[in-house]
Amino acid sequence: MEEYRIGVYICWCGTNIAMMVDVEAVVEEIKKLPNVTIAKDYKYMCSDPGQDLIVKDIKEHHLNRIVVAACSPRMHEPTFRKALENAGLNPYFFEMANIREQVSWVHTDRIEATRKAKGLVAGAVKRVVHHKALNKRYVDIHPATLIIGAGVAGMSAALEIADSGQKVHLVEQCNQLGGMVRKVDLNYPYLNSSRQTISQLIKNTEEHPDIQIYTESKIDKISGYIGNFRALLSNHQEQRELEFGNILIATGLKSFDPSIIENYGYKRIPNVITSADFEKMLYSGLIHCENGKEPGNIAIIHCVGSRNENYHPYCSRTCCMTALKYINQISSAAPECNIYDIYADMRAIGKDCEELYASTSKKNVMFLMFDQQHDLPVIKQNGNGKTVSIEFTELLSGESIHIQANMVVLMTAVESQANNKEIAHLAGISTDKNGFFIEKHPKLDPVATTTEGVYIAGTCQSPKDIPDSIVQAKAAAARILATIAKGKVQVEVTTAQVNEDICCGCQCCASVCPYSAISYNEDKKVSEVNEILCKGCGTCASACPSGAIVSKHFTDNQILSQITGVLEMQIETA
Amino acid sequence: MNYKPTIIGFLCNWCSYTGADLAGTSRQKYEDKIRIIRVMCSGRIEPTFVLDAFRKGADGILICGCHPGDCHYHEGNYKCLRRFHLLQKYTQQMGIEKERLRLEWISASEGKEFAELVDEMSEKIASLGKCMVKETLDTYR
Amino acid sequence: MAKENKPKQKIKMAVYWGAACGGCCVSVLDVHEALFTVVEEADLVFWPIALDTKYADLEKMEDQYIDLTLFNGAIRNSENEHIAKLLRKKSKILVAYGACAQLGGIPGLANFSSKKEIFDRVYFESESTENKDKKIPLTTVKLNGYELYLSEFYNDVKTLAQTVDVDYSIPGCPPQTERLLEVFMAIVSGAELPPKGSVLGAHDKPQCDDCKRIKTDNKKIKAFKRPWEIEDDGVTCFLEQGVICMGPATRGGCGNARCVIGNAPCRGCYGPPPGVLDPGAKMLSAIGTIIDSDDPDEIIKIVEQVVDPAGTFYRFSLPASILHRKIIHKEKSTA
Repeated sequence: MEEYRIGVYICWCGTNIAMMVDVEAVVEEIKKLPNVTIAKDYKYMCSDPGQDLIVKDIKEHHLNRIVVAACSPRMHEPTFRKALENAGLNPYFFEMANIREQVSWVHTDRIEATRKAKGLVAGAVKRVVHHKALNKRYVDIHPATLIIGAGVAGMSAALEIADSGQKVHLVEQCNQLGGMVRKVDLNYPYLNSSRQTISQLIKNTEEHPDIQIYTESKIDKISGYIGNFRALLSNHQEQRELEFGNILIATGLKSFDPSIIENYGYKRIPNVITSADFEKMLYSGLIHCENGKEPGNIAIIHCVGSRNENYHPYCSRTCCMTALKYINQISSAAPECNIYDIYADMRAIGKDCEELYASTSKKNVMFLMFDQQHDLPVIKQNGNGKTVSIEFTELLSGESIHIQANMVVLMTAVESQANNKEIAHLAGISTDKNGFFIEKHPKLDPVATTTEGVYIAGTCQSPKDIPDSIVQAKAAAARILATIAKGKVQVEVTTAQVNEDICCGCQCCASVCPYSAISYNEDKKVSEVNEILCKGCGTCASACPSGAIVSKHFTDNQILSQITGVLEMQIETA
Repeated sequence: MNYKPTIIGFLCNWCSYTGADLAGTSRQKYEDKIRIIRVMCSGRIEPTFVLDAFRKGADGILICGCHPGDCHYHEGNYKCLRRFHLLQKYTQQMGIEKERLRLEWISASEGKEFAELVDEMSEKIASLGKCMVKETLDTYR
Repeated sequence: MAKENKPKQKIKMAVYWGAACGGCCVSVLDVHEALFTVVEEADLVFWPIALDTKYADLEKMEDQYIDLTLFNGAIRNSENEHIAKLLRKKSKILVAYGACAQLGGIPGLANFSSKKEIFDRVYFESESTENKDKKIPLTTVKLNGYELYLSEFYNDVKTLAQTVDVDYSIPGCPPQTERLLEVFMAIVSGAELPPKGSVLGAHDKPQCDDCKRIKTDNKKIKAFKRPWEIEDDGVTCFLEQGVICMGPATRGGCGNARCVIGNAPCRGCYGPPPGVLDPGAKMLSAIGTIIDSDDPDEIIKIVEQVVDPAGTFYRFSLPASILHRKIIHKEKSTA
C-alpha cells in the first residue's frame, strides 16, 4: 500500500486569516494527524515564495499529498495545483481548506474560528489521501465555427474569424442579414448613418469566401462537444448537417410590446407610437401624425417597460441615448416642433454620450422627470382627436404637469428573444430570469458560457449598444480563433467513470445525464461514460444504485472521509 | 438554549459555495459551527453523505444548490430536490426531526442570504437540542 | 502416492441459528442427495436443529476445533451473542450465513422500535393479550427455590459482524443451496480462500446483470406503483413501470433474479454489491433521482406514493445500515 506523506500549509493571508485564527495552534493540532509529514504556517502561501516552499518541501520530504488552508479554492486552487505540477506531483494530489472566506471573515470568536479551521483542515487531510492522480485530456478542434444570428455581433465575429482564413457557418432565421441595426436610421452619439455601416458589414459578410450564409434557416439539433460539434440545420426545402468546433450565439433581442401598459394606451390611442415605429418614420424621411401632418408637439417617454418590476426590472441600456438622437433628428427635420422628453433617469454612459446629452439640452426640448416606480404618466386621447394629453407629476419640481402633444414616442424596452430557452437547450447553456443567456462569469468571462466551446455575444447576453456588441463579438472570435490555432483543447478531467466489474446495466445513470454522455454497451452489458461529453456534475454517481459510477475527485470515499475529518475535530476539541 | 448545533453544509461549487464565499468577502457574520463541504453540483449530494454526517455527530444538514433554472449543469438541483424529499421522508421515519435536514437554494450573489440562513437554521436546531443519532448508537446498543 | 492411501481428512462443521426463521437451516438441508457428498467431506459437530448436541458440548471443544461454522440469524438477545462469541472462539472460519446474519435481515426491522415499544405491544397492547399482572419476561426468576434464567432481549438487533469478527458472508434469504454447495466444495477442496471479509456464493454484479427483463435508459417515474397496480407484460424492467425493485442495488447470484422470474420485484435479500456502504441509501438516491418531475409540489406528491421508504429500501439491511436503527429520544427511552 502506498505510504502517504502529506504536507499541510496554513496561510496567514497577511492578517486576514491570522487575526481570527490561531494558525500556529492549527499547525500543532494538524501535526498530530496520521500521514501528516510536515505542517507549516506562512504569511502568504499564494506568493511566489509560498509556492516555492511547497515545491521545495515536496522534493526534500518526498511529500505525495498537499493540503493548503487559505482562501477559497475558487480563488487559488489552480495556483497551487500548478505548484504541485512544478514539483513533479500530480496536481490532483491536492486539497484546499477554505479558512478565510468561510472562517476568518465570517466569524468573530477566535477560539471557535480556530477550532473550525482545525476541523476544515482535518477534513482536507482525511480527504486528500483518497485522491487519485488525474491526467489532462485533450481533443482536436474542428476548425469551422457555427454562428447563430447575423446581426452586427454575428457578422462582426464571422468576419473576424473568416478573415483569419477559418470557415464560418452563419445561420440567420430572417431572409436577410443585419438584425436590429438594419432597421435603424442614424446611430448615436455621432448621428452618423447606421444604414451605411450595416450595409458595408452585410456586403463584406456576403462576399466573404469563407463565410457560408444560411438565411431563413434554423438549427434543429446540436450534438457533440467542444471541438467536435454537429448540427442539423433546416430551411423550407431541406435539412443538412454541419460540422464545426465552436459555436457563437448572437441571436440578439426584440422590442417589448408596450400595449400591456394601461397608462400609455398604445394601439388604443392614435399617435402613440413606439421607438421602432418612429425609427421607421425617420428611415422613410418623414415625421408625420396619422392624419399625415407634421406634429407641432412631440413627447418622448423613457423607460417604457424597463426598470419596472411589473415589466422588466433591467435597464434597456440604449433608449436614453436613442431618445437624444431623436431630439436631434426632430430638431433638424422640424425645427419648430416642441419636444418634451419625459425621463426617469438620464443614463448617458459610454464614450461621448454625456456630451450628446449636453449638446441636445440646447435644442428645443424640455426635459421632465417622472417617477418610474410609482407614478407613470397617463396618456389620454383629447376630444379633438388631433392631440393627446399627458399628465404626471414632475419629480424635480413636484408640479403636476399637463402636456398636449400631437405625437408620443414610447422608448420601449428591449427583451430577450422568445426562443432563447429553446436555443439554450440545444446548445446546453442557460438563460437568466429575464431570458438572456448566462455568461460563464459575469466579470471575468463574459464571453464564454458554462458549456465548453459555446460562446455568446451581443444583445442576446444583455441589452447593449453597437460598439459593446461588436467588442463582445470580436472577443468571442478571438477566443474561438485561439482554440483553432492551438488545434487541441483541454477537456474536463473530473468526469464520471463506470466500473465495468460492478455495473449491471440498469441505466438509471443514462436516464439522468443532462449531457447524454452515458450510453449502454450491448456487448459488454454495461453503461459507458463518454468522458468528453461528461462535465463532471456527478449526478449519475448519485443515481447509480450499484455504486458502480465513480465521480472522479468527488468519490464517495473522498467525501465520507472529509465528513469524518471535519466532525472528528469538532468533537475531539469541543 | 445555549446548545450550539453542529451543521454540515453540502454546497454546490457554482452557486452556493460561491455565495458562501461572497458572505466572506462581504464580511457577513454567521454561526461558526457550520462546516462546509464542496461538491461540484447539488446533483452529487447523496443520501449516504447525509446519513453518514448524522451518524458521525452532525446535528443538522444543510444542502444548498443553485436556484431552479440556474443549475450550472442544467438540472442537477432538480435531481437533488427529488431525492431530498424521499430522503427526508426516510430520516423522519428514523426519528430525525424534519428541521434538521434542509435544502435551500443559494445563488452566487446571495452571501447575505446564506449567512441569514445559517443563523436561522442554527437557531431552529438549537431549540431541538442535540441530534440523537450518534448518541442512540453509542448509548443504547 | 502416499496421499491417496491416507484416510480422507474430513472437515469439522457447525451450523447455528440466532434470530432467524429457520429457513437458512432448511437451505442447508436442501442440498438433497448432495448431503451424501457433504457428510463424506465433513463431520457435523454442532447443529442444534438437526443434531442432539448441547451448548456444553460446544464449550468443551478446543479453540478453533471447528473448521467451518455457518452462523445464520441476527443477534437479538444475550443467548445469540453468547453463542456467537463461543462459536467465534471454536471456529477457524466463521461465516455469516444468510441475510439476517449478514445484514440483520427481517428480524432487523425490529430496530424501528425500542425494546420497550416491542414489550408494550407484545405483552400489554396486543388485541389477543390478557396480562392482568403486567408480567414481562425477566432475565432471572425464582421459582420453587430455583433460579431460572432467560436470555436478555436487547434493545437492538445486530448483525453477526457487529458482534464478533466474521471471516466471510454468504448472502440471501435464504442463500441458494447451489451457491452454498459451491462454497462448501471450494473450502473442502483446500483451494486458496478469498481475502477475509469477502462475500461468497454471490456475484459482484447486481441482479440486473442476470435479470432477463429489458432495461432501457427510460427510467423516469411519474407514479410509484405496487406490483398489483400494474399490468405487467413480464418483459419491461419493473423500475420502468414505476415499481420499486431493489435489483440494481443488490448482488446477483440468487439464480437469474429469482423473484423477478416470479414476476415480483427484487427485495434486496442478497445485500449490497462490493463497495456499497448502505444499499438502502443508494437505492433511495437512485429512485429519487429518476422521479419524473421538476415541480416541487408534484415531486412531493409522487414521493408520498412511496408509503414506507425505510421498510422498502432497508427491508433486509436496517441493522447494517448507516443509521442502524430508529433514534431513541432520551425522554422516551427505556435504556
